[in-house]
Amino acid sequence: MSDSPRFTRRTLFRGIGSSTLVAGCAGQPARPPVPVDAEPAAAPPLDGAAIGPGPAPLRFTLNGAPQTVEVAPSATLLELLRHSLDATGSKLVCDRGACGACTVLVDGVPRPSCMTLAHDVEDRNVTTVEGLAAQGEPSRLQRAFVEHDALQCGYCTSGMLMSCQALLDRPGQRIDGDAVKRAISGNLCRCGTYPNIVAAVLSVAGEPQAPRGA
Amino acid sequence: MADTTRVKLRVGFADQLRDIEFELPAGEPRPWDATSKLEIVGKPAPRIDGPARVTGAARYTHDIRLPGLLYAAVLRSPHPCATLGALDLGPARNAPGVVAVLALAKAGERLLFAGQDVAAVAARTPQQARAALRQISATFAPEPFVVDTRTAMEADAPIVHRGKVEERSTEGDEPGVAGGATQKGNVRMSPSQKKGDVDRGLRQARVTHEATYSTQVHTHSALETHSLVLRWDSPTTMTAWCSTQGIFSVRDELAEIFELKPQDVRVITDFMGGGFGAKFGASAPGSRLGFIAGELARQAKAPVALLLDRREEQLCTGNRPDSLQQVTLGATADGTLTAIKVLAHGSAGIGTGAGVGRNAFGIYSRCPNIRVASHDVFTHAGPATAFRAPGHPQGAFAIELALDELAAKLGKDPLDLRIAHNEHPVRRHQFELGRQRFRWDERRKQAVDQRQRNTRMRRGVGVAASIWGDFGRGKAVVATVSVGRDGSVEVRNGLQDIGGGITTVMAQVVAEVLHRPLAAVRVRIGDSELGPGVGSGGSTTTASVTPAVRAAAEAVKRQLDALASKHFGGKPMRWDNHGVHRVGVTKGSLAFAELCKHIDGEAIVATGTRPETYGAYPMKFMGGNSYQIAGVQFIEVEVDTWTGLVRATEVLALHDCGRVMNELSCRSQVQGGIILGTSYALMEQRVMDTRRGVMLNPNLESYKIAGALDVPNIEVVFTEVHTGANNTGAIGIGEPATIPTAAAIACALFNAIGAPVRDLPLTPDRVLAALGMIPARGD
Repeated sequence: MSDSPRFTRRTLFRGIGSSTLVAGCAGQPARPPVPVDAEPAAAPPLDGAAIGPGPAPLRFTLNGAPQTVEVAPSATLLELLRHSLDATGSKLVCDRGACGACTVLVDGVPRPSCMTLAHDVEDRNVTTVEGLAAQGEPSRLQRAFVEHDALQCGYCTSGMLMSCQALLDRPGQRIDGDAVKRAISGNLCRCGTYPNIVAAVLSVAGEPQAPRGA
Repeated sequence: MADTTRVKLRVGFADQLRDIEFELPAGEPRPWDATSKLEIVGKPAPRIDGPARVTGAARYTHDIRLPGLLYAAVLRSPHPCATLGALDLGPARNAPGVVAVLALAKAGERLLFAGQDVAAVAARTPQQARAALRQISATFAPEPFVVDTRTAMEADAPIVHRGKVEERSTEGDEPGVAGGATQKGNVRMSPSQKKGDVDRGLRQARVTHEATYSTQVHTHSALETHSLVLRWDSPTTMTAWCSTQGIFSVRDELAEIFELKPQDVRVITDFMGGGFGAKFGASAPGSRLGFIAGELARQAKAPVALLLDRREEQLCTGNRPDSLQQVTLGATADGTLTAIKVLAHGSAGIGTGAGVGRNAFGIYSRCPNIRVASHDVFTHAGPATAFRAPGHPQGAFAIELALDELAAKLGKDPLDLRIAHNEHPVRRHQFELGRQRFRWDERRKQAVDQRQRNTRMRRGVGVAASIWGDFGRGKAVVATVSVGRDGSVEVRNGLQDIGGGITTVMAQVVAEVLHRPLAAVRVRIGDSELGPGVGSGGSTTTASVTPAVRAAAEAVKRQLDALASKHFGGKPMRWDNHGVHRVGVTKGSLAFAELCKHIDGEAIVATGTRPETYGAYPMKFMGGNSYQIAGVQFIEVEVDTWTGLVRATEVLALHDCGRVMNELSCRSQVQGGIILGTSYALMEQRVMDTRRGVMLNPNLESYKIAGALDVPNIEVVFTEVHTGANNTGAIGIGEPATIPTAAAIACALFNAIGAPVRDLPLTPDRVLAALGMIPARGD
C-alpha cells in the first residue's frame, strides 16, 4: 500500500523540484504569461487517462461507504467533501496546508484536504471526522476530547482528531506527550486547547482502537 | 410589599472572609456566597455541546447550506491609498454563474487601505464568484501613503484622514474608556488618565528610569473567518446566520442598514469558530459585510453566503494596534515609587482605539502620581478593533518591564516592588502565594548564577499582573426556563457560545436550582428569537447570563414548590436529587417526574433577568462601582544565548473570576489566554511592506501563531472571591487571563540575560542584539 496519494499540490511541487520553484520565484527564466482562469489547453494524455476540463467521474470510499461522483479536475478534496457531499466537519481555514483544520485520513495517512485534489483519492479510503463515530456513537478518542475539554470553539477540532487518530493507529508506537505534540504540530488552535488535547490523547493511548467506518 | 430584602452574606476570599448585610432588590434570589453548598455549579463539567463539536455534526456559519445559495466575493483595493477612477462591473455581470454585482466605492472616492471594499459579486459557486472578480475593471490613482506608525507621526507625513474622526466602539471594548479627543496631523490625542502631580513626583525621585517600549500589530486570526449567510424571507424580513460574538448587534446593524424592524431580523449562531473581540455587528471593522450580503441577496432574490478567505481576514477584520510607549518611573532611594508616567502612541490603522489599557494607571496604585496618555496615530492600514483585553497586554508589557528595570537600578526584588505598590488584597494574596509555589526566590538566584557562569542556556523568571473589571450587565438578559409535564427541563436565551462554554454553565445553574442531573437540562441558545441576550465581550457573558438564568429557574421552582405544597397539604418539605420529600416522614416523597405530572397545562415557564451589579468587593474598579478582578502570572523562560531563541517553559497563573462556575472550562479559558499571550510575546507580528504599503504575511504560514510545541507547562490556580455582586457570584475570566503573559515573559527574559528586550515580539535577533552579539535593527 502506498503511503501517499499520487498528487497533492505539495507532491506536485516536490516532483517539479525546488530549484525550478526558486527560479520561478526569481522570475527567471521568463515564461509567456498564462491567464490564471483560462481553460487549460488539451494536454497530451498520460497513460491515456487524461481527464477534464469538465467534471469527470471519481470513485472512492468515504468513511466506509463507496462514492461515485462527478467532480472537476481542479476541485480539491475539501471542496468535494464540503460542497458536493455535505460533509462539513472538515474545515476550510487557511486554504494552503498551514493550519491542519481540513485534515482527513487518506488510506490512514493524515492529509490536508485543501491541498489534495479530489481526483487524487480515486480508489482510496478517505476518513473524515464524520467517520470516527461508529453508528453515530462517538469514539473513545472523541469522548476523551470532550472529557478533557480538548476543544473550545471547536473549529480546529476535526483536524486535531484526525491527526491524533492517525497517531493512535500507528502500530507499535509508544505514545507520550511529545509524540502527541509532534503529531498535532501541523494543526493550529487559536483558543489554546493544546494541553487538553495532549491529555485527552494520552488518556486513551495504549487502548485498542475500535474499528471505524460506516 | 417592600421592594428590597435584607440579606446577610459571607463574602471575601481565602481566609479573609467576613459577613455583610445589605438590601437585595425585590424578587432577587439570595446570592450564592461562601456558605453556599453547591453540587453542580463550580464542579468540572464536560461541555454538553462537546459531542456535536467532536463528531463534525456542529454546523458553523461556513457550513450552512440553503437551497439556491449563492456565494459572494469582494474585490478589495490593492493600494494603501488611492482614488478610484472608473469602475466597470459589466464584464463581471456577464461572467459564468454570476447573478448579482455591486459597487462598493464610487468614482473619485479615496480608498484608505489595501483591502478596502471596492465591489462585490454573487455567483453560483465560490470559484465562479472569485473568477468574476478578475473580470472587473477598475482604475486607481495612487496617492502618497504611510503604513509605519513612527513615520506617520512626523509633520510631513501623508495625512490619512482629512476630517475629524469619531471613535467607534463595540461590545468588545472595555466600557467607559472612550473620551473627547483632538486631532493634529495623523495624531488623535485623547485625554490622559491622571492622578497627583507626575512632574512633581519625578522631581522628588532619587532614582529614575526612562525608556521606550514597542509592541507589534497582532491579528485575531480566529480559525473561522468572518462569515454571514443571509436570506430575505420577504421584502421586509430576513434571516441571517452569522459567525458573531453578538447576535443582537448583528440584528441591530442589519435592521439599521436595510431600514427594517429589529424584530423582523432573525439572527442564528448555533456554533462559531472564535472571535477574540473582532466579531460584533453584521460587518467586519474594515468591510461592510452586512450591506454586501444583504444587498446582493436582495438583488439576486436568493440567499447569499459571504465567507471571507484568510487573506481578507488578515487585512480588513481588525487587529490589536501596535504601540510605542515612553515610560518614565521615579522612586525614592529606598524604592518607593514617586511617579509613573506613560506617553503612548499606537496605530489602529485607519481606525481608533490604540490605547494601552489600565495597567500602568490602576495596578501599582500606591504610587501617588500617575499620568498615562495614549494617542491614536492614523496609518493606511486596516482598522483595529477590540482584541481580548483591548490595550492591556501592550500596556502591561511596557509598565511591567519598566518596573523590573527600575527594580534592577534600585537593587530590589521586582516582586517586592510590586507588592509594595499594589493595594488590591486579592492580588497581594496572589503575589505572595505565587512567590512560594513558583519558588520565586530560588529561581531568581539560579538565574543570576547562570548569568555569572555565562552558560549557553539560561533560565529566568518574571511576574506580571492583570487588572479587569466586573462589567456584568444588569437587565440586558432575559432568560427563560421551562419545566414540562413530561419532566423535561429547558433553558433558552438568544446569546451565543463563542467557545467559552456558556452553554454548559447555563445548564449547570438550572440543574443546581432544580436538583436535576446536568444531562437532564436542555439548553437552546444561538437564536435572536430566544430572548434578549448579551454580546460576548468585556468578559461579561457569564456574569450577565447566569444570574438571569438562576432567577428564571428559581421562579419555576417556586411554582413547583407550590404544586408540591398542595400535594403535601402544606406540610414542611425539602428538595433533593430525586424530587420533593416531606420533612421527617419516611414515606412522603414525590419524585421529580411525578411532581411534573401535577403541572396544569403543558409546562411551567418563567423568565428571569438580573438587576444592576450590587454586593461588596475587596476592591472596586476605578471610576465605577464594579469589582476589580485581580490576577498574576509567574513565568519561566529558557533562552539559548547562541541562537537568541526564547521558549516559555513554565507558567503559574493565579486568577480571580469571582465564583468559578465550571472548573473545567474556566481552566481552559485561562490556558487559552496564556497561550495567546505567549504567541503574542514570541511569534506573532503583522509585517507591512513600507514601500508598497501592503501586508506581507496575510496568511497562517508566515503569520505565525503558537502551535502545540510552543506551549509552556501551565498551572492554573483560582482565587475564588465571593462578592455578592450578583446572585451566582460569577464575574469573568476570558480577558484577564491574557493580560500579563507577554509582560511576564519579557520580565523573565530580562532576568535570564540581564538585558531588557523592549520590543515585542521577543525574536532571536532582538535577543542577540540585547546580548551585544549583533547590531540592533536600524543601527
